[in-house]
Amino acid sequence: MDHEEIQLISRCQQGDQEALKEIFDKYHKRVYRIAYGVVRHREEALDIVQEVFVKLFRSIKNFKGRSHFYTYLYRMVMNTAIDHSRKMGKQFVSSLDEEGSFEPSEEIEKGPERILLQKELEEKVKWAMEKLPIEQKAALLFREVEGLSYQEMADAMGCSIGTVMSRLHYGRKRIQELLKDYVGPPGQSSGPSNPLKGEGVR
Amino acid sequence: MKDSCSSVSELLEKYFDQEVTDRERFLVEGHLQDCPTCRDALTSMEGLRTLIKVPVEEATQQEDFPWVWQKIEREIRLQEKVSWWQSLRSWIHLSPLLKKKTWIPAVAIIVVLLLITTQVILKKTPSYSDASVVEYIESETHNIMVYESEKAKMTVIWLFDEEDEEDQELSRS
Repeated sequence: MDHEEIQLISRCQQGDQEALKEIFDKYHKRVYRIAYGVVRHREEALDIVQEVFVKLFRSIKNFKGRSHFYTYLYRMVMNTAIDHSRKMGKQFVSSLDEEGSFEPSEEIEKGPERILLQKELEEKVKWAMEKLPIEQKAALLFREVEGLSYQEMADAMGCSIGTVMSRLHYGRKRIQELLKDYVGPPGQSSGPSNPLKGEGVR
Repeated sequence: MKDSCSSVSELLEKYFDQEVTDRERFLVEGHLQDCPTCRDALTSMEGLRTLIKVPVEEATQQEDFPWVWQKIEREIRLQEKVSWWQSLRSWIHLSPLLKKKTWIPAVAIIVVLLLITTQVILKKTPSYSDASVVEYIESETHNIMVYESEKAKMTVIWLFDEEDEEDQELSRS
């Protein structure tokens, strides 16, 4: 943590709302990304952002500076997002069926409607992420979306680096199985039915 | 998959996540040059990362956050408006004298005294303001006035002579 951030947090701990605003300006996108990654729903994610910063203002006195502030914040976001999902009493189920009988449409694959394919892919990824245990989902979001290091992830998730690696490994393995038509599992080369391999969504 | 893949496979994810040492990086990169299977595995992980990351990035870019801050500010303001009961509780909590709980018997005594005093004060003395004269009899020696009050269920008979009006007698029935 740099000196400026320490001062900012200290001001916020004394109840300075301007300091909270500065923290919000600095971190709100990261908070939203994690929230959206968990719930995959715009309004829900925005509600979580709001809840996190209100909660932060109330509880920032408990932050002792032993870890990076953002890992403290990430943990708060993840817990809030999980609580939020439970409170809403629903899974953010995609339009795909629970058995995972999703098959890529050949017409779309061959046709020019790249946007449609992307939309389908997003739905498929959303569905696949929902299948993961929350720890693996959190690990994937922290690593793939936020680019946290193993150590930062361990701090944010309150576990060891070994556990982080294990969650990442099994999370990737599971999601590659679920998305095998799009992302071939390690050790297998993908055929032409894998349109995104190596080139991403865009 | 080559035999050498098994020794590298454990490092492949670490390599992808940029968590390897220089020595491990050298080992993995040497292997990748000759192993299309591991190169595919790496490409596959990259594809997966893109699939997870891009929709989240796009959703974030489309969002307008200033109004979210306004909602946060409003929520904090609302929470700061504590009720009078909470204020009283916090005052009680802060006051060292009240913290000792010695105030509880004192307050109890005051309340009991107040109750007793109120009872005494409120105990009604007879009042005849609502009484009405129902009969008036004049005689040579005394005059008699009879008052009746429906409210108090009381009858007052007042004997007096015109010269000495203090001579009166009250009787209740």
